[in-house]
Amino acid sequence: MARYRASGCQRAIKKYKFDYKSHAQIERGFLHWDTISAMFRKLFPFLLLLISACTPPVTDSLEAASTSTEKPIVLASTTFLADIAQNVAGERLQVESLLPFGADAHSYQPIPQDVAKVADSALLIVNGAEYEHFLEPVLENAGGERTVVEASAGLNVRKDAGTEHGVDPHLWLDPNNVILYVKNIHDGFVTLDPEGEQVYTSNTESYSIQLQELDTWIREQVDSIPAEHRLLVTNHDSLGYFAERYGFTVIGTVVEGTSSNAAPSAQQMAALIDQIKASGAPAVFLDAAESPNLANQIASDAGVKVITNLYFGSLTDGPPAGTYIDMMKHNVTQIVEALK
Amino acid sequence: MYPHISHQDDQPILDVRNISARYNGRFALEDVTFHLHVGERIAVVGPNGAGKSTLFKVVAGVMQPSNGDVNVYGSTPRGHVCIAYIPQRSQVDWTFPVSVADVVMMGRIAQLGLLGWPKKRDWDLVHETLKIVDLDNLSKRQISQLSGGQQQRMFIARALAQEAELMLMDEPLSGLDSPSQEGILTLLDELKRQNVTVMVATHDLEQAAEYFDRIMLLNHRLIAFGLPDDVLQTDKLVQAYGGRLRSVDGDKVLTVDDCCDEGDDHGHTH
Amino acid sequence: MIAAMKGMTMATLINFFLEPLQYPFMLRGLTAAVLVGIVCAVVGTYVVLRGMAFFGDALAHTILPGVALGYLVSGGGTDSLFWWALGTAVIAAFGIGAISKNSQIKEDTAIGVIFAGMFALGIALISTVRSYAVDLSHFLFGDVLGVSTGSLWLILIFGGLVLLTIAAFYKEFLTLSFDPILAVTLRLPVGLLNNLLLTLIAVTIAVSLQTVGVALMVAMLVTPAATASLLTHRLPVMMGLAALFASLSGVIGLYLSYYLSIASGAAIVLTATAFFTIVFLIKRLRN
Repeated sequence: MARYRASGCQRAIKKYKFDYKSHAQIERGFLHWDTISAMFRKLFPFLLLLISACTPPVTDSLEAASTSTEKPIVLASTTFLADIAQNVAGERLQVESLLPFGADAHSYQPIPQDVAKVADSALLIVNGAEYEHFLEPVLENAGGERTVVEASAGLNVRKDAGTEHGVDPHLWLDPNNVILYVKNIHDGFVTLDPEGEQVYTSNTESYSIQLQELDTWIREQVDSIPAEHRLLVTNHDSLGYFAERYGFTVIGTVVEGTSSNAAPSAQQMAALIDQIKASGAPAVFLDAAESPNLANQIASDAGVKVITNLYFGSLTDGPPAGTYIDMMKHNVTQIVEALK
Repeated sequence: MYPHISHQDDQPILDVRNISARYNGRFALEDVTFHLHVGERIAVVGPNGAGKSTLFKVVAGVMQPSNGDVNVYGSTPRGHVCIAYIPQRSQVDWTFPVSVADVVMMGRIAQLGLLGWPKKRDWDLVHETLKIVDLDNLSKRQISQLSGGQQQRMFIARALAQEAELMLMDEPLSGLDSPSQEGILTLLDELKRQNVTVMVATHDLEQAAEYFDRIMLLNHRLIAFGLPDDVLQTDKLVQAYGGRLRSVDGDKVLTVDDCCDEGDDHGHTH
Repeated sequence: MIAAMKGMTMATLINFFLEPLQYPFMLRGLTAAVLVGIVCAVVGTYVVLRGMAFFGDALAHTILPGVALGYLVSGGGTDSLFWWALGTAVIAAFGIGAISKNSQIKEDTAIGVIFAGMFALGIALISTVRSYAVDLSHFLFGDVLGVSTGSLWLILIFGGLVLLTIAAFYKEFLTLSFDPILAVTLRLPVGLLNNLLLTLIAVTIAVSLQTVGVALMVAMLVTPAATASLLTHRLPVMMGLAALFASLSGVIGLYLSYYLSIASGAAIVLTATAFFTIVFLIKRLRN
């Protein structure tokens, strides 16, 4: 009974909105205050009925979402997670990203619409390892219940050099970790939609093969860099896992730690310049979303170049980093070019 | 930018016709007409808020009248740089980091020109004017270190440095002790010798009668303007001062209660 | 033995001063801090004498939407942001000047309303980027370690223009500030001169933005000049002392920032405030 009322309420609201706008436009050619108030006066009793039929809205709409014939809403925190998950979901589910393209999860400020999206979702995929700090207030405010899949669950995490208790969340920059990501996501999907288990399993297998191919390709590319040049300098400590896997040394970062939020002190900047000069690192690498100002000065003082078109925390809308695999290939190509 | 309109010598130095002026929405001056000749010494007398400052500002070209004409040597005030307005001492920021000499030198700006710097000639002139007003030994003092009388004399020196021919002094004698007042009044003699025309706003009717050629009675309207004996008549004074007149000892002495503006709320009665 | 120890402390002392100077970014930062300090101090002298501290603070905050717009349009290169800041500052200076004159509202109130509204507009614009925390902090608190050589040239040229203008119109600004009625009777172009002064303040703020940031700008305008006002009764000396205090604050502040690892803009302002406090207390004790 409750579910019928809820969906009727939703449909009714949609219909009301459509009617009043077109009516007003016909009457005057543009929305006029007394037109609007006249509409309200006529429809007020009807509105009252609707409102009483629709409270409380949140739980009802959740029920509606999970039991209506529409697909359940699946959210991922970031664009790259959404892409990875979509590969597992195939045609059966639509995975949306909470963060837009180009956003930086470290410094992201959530808006009310984010709370609404999370509230409406049936499944939420997060990276985990303390990456999504911004989600804490959102989840609190959204209330309700949903399955939360922590993609990096079960992986060994590095410590964050910048803070005492923190960990480095950038696991996805090593494709081998993503193979475990897709397993966790697969399990989450199966819980949500048991009927699709076969589809999910076969998608997972084929995508995992692609990830292994990616890993092989990266190794080949890295081999073309002379050993003494396999040195990385980044804005913050984002390439820790990548460096470990493929044999790079991280000389230092502009900002200490794994979050882009801090600002370096003068002594830290000075120390980094010395380290770059001493190690012979050929370049400083920045994510496209990071402010290049300090990095430019450091690179110029150290006499090295700055590469600013990398994508560590977000895909791009279309090329060159439209999918996770494209993103990794693009990044590796740029890095290899700069270090050769 | 620094006009030096020629002075038409056949014209009275100041010719004011039917001027009215608004201040804060009310009429500060209503239909005032008079003229002055070169070298005259005029006392402008009236209660607070009568429009004395407004009259000076209109004559100096600082304020525009809403009606009427003002002519200085035949042309509007804004064409001249020879008119000096000496402000009330209470309106000045005495903490400003300038010395006496600095303030007097400000009067020379019109002669110095846009990007000009003071030359020896200008400094000599400044020191001469300071000698005239007897402030020569204080030329380097910061202005807050002066007494009231010295502050007043400094402004007169500035007006002299400006080479002003018409000086408008807004209550220069108020708040000064007798010797200081004497000093200022003596200076007025020196100014007369230099053919400077002077208008002085004052509250002291006795001084007005004794030291000035003509007296102007002003209370928004020009009540009277002429020789002291003609102007300082009871009926005219009553017109000017309204209910603030008090006669002491019969008709022999009149005192003026000039504490407050008409229409102000205050805690005492007159 | 003692001579050896003396030699050692001498060496450490010299090293203490020289160590930061071997890094070009520190040299650039020090130069920027000194140049900006001098310009702010000289212009700030007039700000203090004319009681325009609130106006100065408001103007600094009012340019945020313009800078935010530039950031959104051109992606945040600091050199291009200088031009956006300059344009917005000049427009804002005239705007605040014009609106605060047509008052049924007190000038103080008008300035407050405009300042808060424009600042909020700026934050709203920046927040559309949604990952704005770092860059907003650069606007608010400065980014003196990130000053490029190009920025230094801009500071030198425009700062120099400001100082030249103040020198050229020295006696006009002096008269206008001390006795505006005298300025009118001497037929100075009072309206133009006032607008010119507003423009100079606007340019000063644009020039100083990267070094101190919006939030601390008013301190660079006011504090060194206020300190100087306690020490002299002569305007040229006041300007000179203000410039001296500002430069010293810049240098000492940056050294403090280097050795104590604190934000450079804040270190400079704290040093300037310390100078003021010391001078103030000494004067107090003397009396």
